[in-house]
Amino acid sequence: MGLLAFGDTGWGDELFFATLMTIAVAAAAIFIGFFLAAIFASFKLSKIRILNLIGSFYTTVFRGVPELLVIYLFFFGGSGAIMYVAKIFGYDGYIEINAFITGAISIGLISGAYSTEVFRGAIQSINKGQFEASEVLGFKKKIYYYKIIIPQMLRLALPNISNVWQITLKDTSLISVTGLVEIMRMSYIAAGSTRDPLFFYSFAAVLYLFLTFLSMKLFNKLELHYNKGY
Amino acid sequence: MKNIFKSFLSTIAVLAILFSNAQAGSVKIGTEGAYPPWNAKDESGKLIGFEVELANWLCIYMKADCTIVEQDWDGMIPGLIMRKYDAIMAGMSITGERMKVINFSQGYADEVAQLAVMKGSSLEGMDTPSGINLSLGGSNVKSALKTLTGALAGKTVCVQTATIHQNFLESGDVGSVTVRTYKTQDEVNLDLAAGRCDAALAAAVAFTDYAEKSGKPVVLTGPTFSGGAFGNGVGVGIRKDDTDLLKAFNSAIDQARTSGKISELAIKWFGFDASM
Repeated sequence: MGLLAFGDTGWGDELFFATLMTIAVAAAAIFIGFFLAAIFASFKLSKIRILNLIGSFYTTVFRGVPELLVIYLFFFGGSGAIMYVAKIFGYDGYIEINAFITGAISIGLISGAYSTEVFRGAIQSINKGQFEASEVLGFKKKIYYYKIIIPQMLRLALPNISNVWQITLKDTSLISVTGLVEIMRMSYIAAGSTRDPLFFYSFAAVLYLFLTFLSMKLFNKLELHYNKGY
Repeated sequence: MKNIFKSFLSTIAVLAILFSNAQAGSVKIGTEGAYPPWNAKDESGKLIGFEVELANWLCIYMKADCTIVEQDWDGMIPGLIMRKYDAIMAGMSITGERMKVINFSQGYADEVAQLAVMKGSSLEGMDTPSGINLSLGGSNVKSALKTLTGALAGKTVCVQTATIHQNFLESGDVGSVTVRTYKTQDEVNLDLAAGRCDAALAAAVAFTDYAEKSGKPVVLTGPTFSGGAFGNGVGVGIRKDDTDLLKAFNSAIDQARTSGKISELAIKWFGFDASM
């Protein structure tokens, strides 16, 4: 157990901060994903054909391309693109996009594609009568969406949002390739440096399971909250 | 619309420059930090290892201001090309495949080969340098090979079959020794310990590992071999267009080799002279 000591004699503090990093990246990614999902789900449900197409394009591409590839494209392509733009403005040097931002955006884009489908499905599952009744009662579209449709949508979407969150949490392990020190990368370093891979990878598995367990508890509570009236 | 686009781009550019940490006149060296004893991390999270210390010395010789950055192995060469860092020192062997994409400095170390004997053998403690690089040649190498030729005359040396080690023994560089070949390195180790071989030749680490695990008194002797038939070793990876940096690294490695710094660090980290 000395291997997991905190401070300069063990890997405990490093793994603790790595766990916080995993949570931070996953949380940032899921919120970026929700933001994108809100936009693209409304595109997909819109009556305007071109918006439908844009929405479908987004979900098809980011659900179809392997996660690791998206991260590579952003990590290596992102710096390249910004450097190219900077060069036009006369700055010729290396520009690094922070690994956290790259990771959160690329995982967020993937998670957003899944969330889009979740949101769309949930809205479509709401009884048509709810929309019609809202309009008949004279609510403006903006108001009835916020007050009537979205609360019902959240209830229907929650079990699937929980799924997306678990996937997002595990996808963060792929960001280790950019050198961002989250659970996976830290275990890799510790395993390599101490030549004790079995111990550190098993411990990483325990950390991920622990995070999963915590999220399950949280989502159960949320589901109870949103199902109060049912 | 065009103006909006332009100001958007310039905002991004300004932000990117603010976020960047590029410094003129400095060299960034990428390493993996998970491949001991070449490069690793200690329990406090600090980068340690042979290459980390060697990198600092090379930078002193180059009079450059260096920082060492971590990078996952899979992204090591792309990171160099994307200018995330300017040089790779990560136990990366010089191969033709990699030479297509990046340049390498001369090799500074290798998974070197060395002779092993049982403790108390007459071959123990040969009077040679701690390591010879066959690619470099020179009087040093010649006299070491002469000493070896004399010492090994009439002796049986065991090697694994179809290896660079067998090729070297049969090349005539060390005279005409009796070469006995085995299918696996384990058999070589066992017969060396059983006294059927006067000496054995393989990667030095194969013998140190065996000695450690079996507790048998197997010791290394003579110089470590690198270069020539033994391959090009591990070098500093540098972008193809960065010829000035390549020259600087090559002359710094020359200096570090002549001053004995590479050997010193190699013996400290590997337990034998892995320098070349």
